[in-house]
Amino acid sequence: MAEEGIKAIFEPKSVLLVGASGVKERPGVISPALFTSIISNMSSSYKGKTHVLDLSGRLSGAIKSSKDVPKKQELAVLTPSPELALKHIRKLVDRGVKAIIIPAGGYKGEQLEELVRATVKRGVRVLGPNSAMGVLNTANGLYTTSERGLMPRRGKVALISQDGGLDAAMLDWACFHGIGLSKFASLGDKVDVDEVDLLNYLAQDGDTRAICIYVERIEDGRKFTDAIKEAVKRKPVCVLRGAGKGLERAEIFDAAIKQAGAIRARNIEELFDIATALALQPPMRGDRVAIMSNAEGPAMLAAGAIERKGLKLAMLSGEVKKAINSRYQSIDVTNPIDMTASAGAEHYEFVLERVLADPNVDGVMVVNVLRSRTIKPEDVEVVAKAARKSKEKPVVDVAVGGGDHVLVREVLRDKGIPTYDLPEKAARALKALYRYGQVLSKVKE
Amino acid sequence: MEHESKQILTAWGIPTTRVELARDAAEAIKAARELKYPVVMKISSPNIIHKSDAGGVKVGLSSELEVHQAFKEIMDNARAYKPNAKILGVTIQEYVSHAREVIVGTLQDPTFGATVMFGLGGVWVEALKDVSFRLAPLTADDAREMISEIKGYPILAGIRGEPAADIDAIVDILQKAGQLAHEFPEIVEMDINPIFVFDRGKGAIAIDARIILKEEK
Repeated sequence: MAEEGIKAIFEPKSVLLVGASGVKERPGVISPALFTSIISNMSSSYKGKTHVLDLSGRLSGAIKSSKDVPKKQELAVLTPSPELALKHIRKLVDRGVKAIIIPAGGYKGEQLEELVRATVKRGVRVLGPNSAMGVLNTANGLYTTSERGLMPRRGKVALISQDGGLDAAMLDWACFHGIGLSKFASLGDKVDVDEVDLLNYLAQDGDTRAICIYVERIEDGRKFTDAIKEAVKRKPVCVLRGAGKGLERAEIFDAAIKQAGAIRARNIEELFDIATALALQPPMRGDRVAIMSNAEGPAMLAAGAIERKGLKLAMLSGEVKKAINSRYQSIDVTNPIDMTASAGAEHYEFVLERVLADPNVDGVMVVNVLRSRTIKPEDVEVVAKAARKSKEKPVVDVAVGGGDHVLVREVLRDKGIPTYDLPEKAARALKALYRYGQVLSKVKE
Repeated sequence: MEHESKQILTAWGIPTTRVELARDAAEAIKAARELKYPVVMKISSPNIIHKSDAGGVKVGLSSELEVHQAFKEIMDNARAYKPNAKILGVTIQEYVSHAREVIVGTLQDPTFGATVMFGLGGVWVEALKDVSFRLAPLTADDAREMISEIKGYPILAGIRGEPAADIDAIVDILQKAGQLAHEFPEIVEMDINPIFVFDRGKGAIAIDARIILKEEK
């Protein structure tokens, strides 16, 4: 069972947006425009019930006083300045609020203490302050941020972050590259809710199949690695490291998360590349990879990338080679399998099915170079069709190129096959799937 | 001090060369007789860290006469090297034939607590920073992974027909050192350097060790 307070942050029954629309803008005071942006973002995307409490009452339809707030608003988003927010926070807690998101910063020593006394000490969970990008949930449309247009597609990757600027950049990246997310949260200053709470929650979350964390500061390293150890029993965890407090000795941090079973990404692109594969495909139980391609050059690059990642090129079994050649004589069945430029959808489907059934193969990288006469973007759909027949082994697709990759991605995006524009990225994804396979076999021992 | 650090390691089941502290030449000869010749002699002083630089190390001593002379020379060299150094005496230890060198260390990381470090000895660790880390305590898998993770691993696995080093013996030392650092956070730092690792099945032995304890406030 997920903890009630954390659950209320992502899946509230009802949300209360608190702000002061009439406050004059000046440095240190959160902009009333931010408040109205959150209201408009929530009203256009959130599927649940929202109430608005306007403490300097101008907005029409808004509640004017905290005593008029209907009971049991599970989640409150608190945008006013610390002074104003602290005046009302106890009343909100009295009305039954279970969790509070604070996008604003500026809470100083005594104000932080008062905040904790009024909330955390009374069993209310607080995300922030400085949780600039707040929380996103693609399942219920929860969108507690003032920035527009950053709601990613619905997917199975959850993202935890803690820095306002990077949060927005990562969400923009995810939107632009069509990466599907389940949930997002910005930790901010972590007065209460931290990465351990969110790891525990997301490990149990039915919509999330892989968890990504950007870590900028960490207080208790052991609590963090213990939470990773628990989470990886259920789903993979990918970590991107910043360089703040507690991360001074990067080599120790890297070793610690590896030991706990997390997979480290070196940059944002790698984080999403591997997380997407981990969320969509089964872990790879061995290190033997088959490559099948309709062009020799990309297949060679793929083979090189596989070996550089410490994976092996599978030796196909005699029966599988025979089965392929008895139907298509022209295919060179030595791995990497060269299906030649004449290969169309039927070749891909037939060969992929056979290769996946080969006991000598643990995972497959499918390479396709689009050709107007033999293989069009929609033809690549057969990759998903053939892959579905094998639930145990991962398949990743490389549509080498720029625009061609985007076209293939559109075809495969909702069919569970991760696609990449370059073989090196696909090799990295397979390596992550292999690492997670190893982590799982250790857990099961 | 080295002999005290080694007593801790020995008590914890980490194989070390036997070492005795001698305060005069007669004690040195008595110790050498018990240890079997040849022996190695080193200055013992909290103020002298680089013993070789101080002329404080003599190896391959095989008779009472040599031990007697070595004692005097080491003491004279040390006094000349650092006149104000507090000198406890000279340690006598058994001589071990050379083998592949590794180092095992522990530290208390402010974020993660007891942490174990592993690397090849000598130039590898100093010049190339070719080391790996894991949090203590370690499983045998953790220890194996940290050994195979360093770039110099082929040196231990055996290159060009050379037999493999006794990896299991290193695993055992890594696990025991990790356990020690984990159970005694007052061990701020431990440096077992070098450890001689013999061919597979023949074990490994700590040649020198240094343990730094938290100072009482």
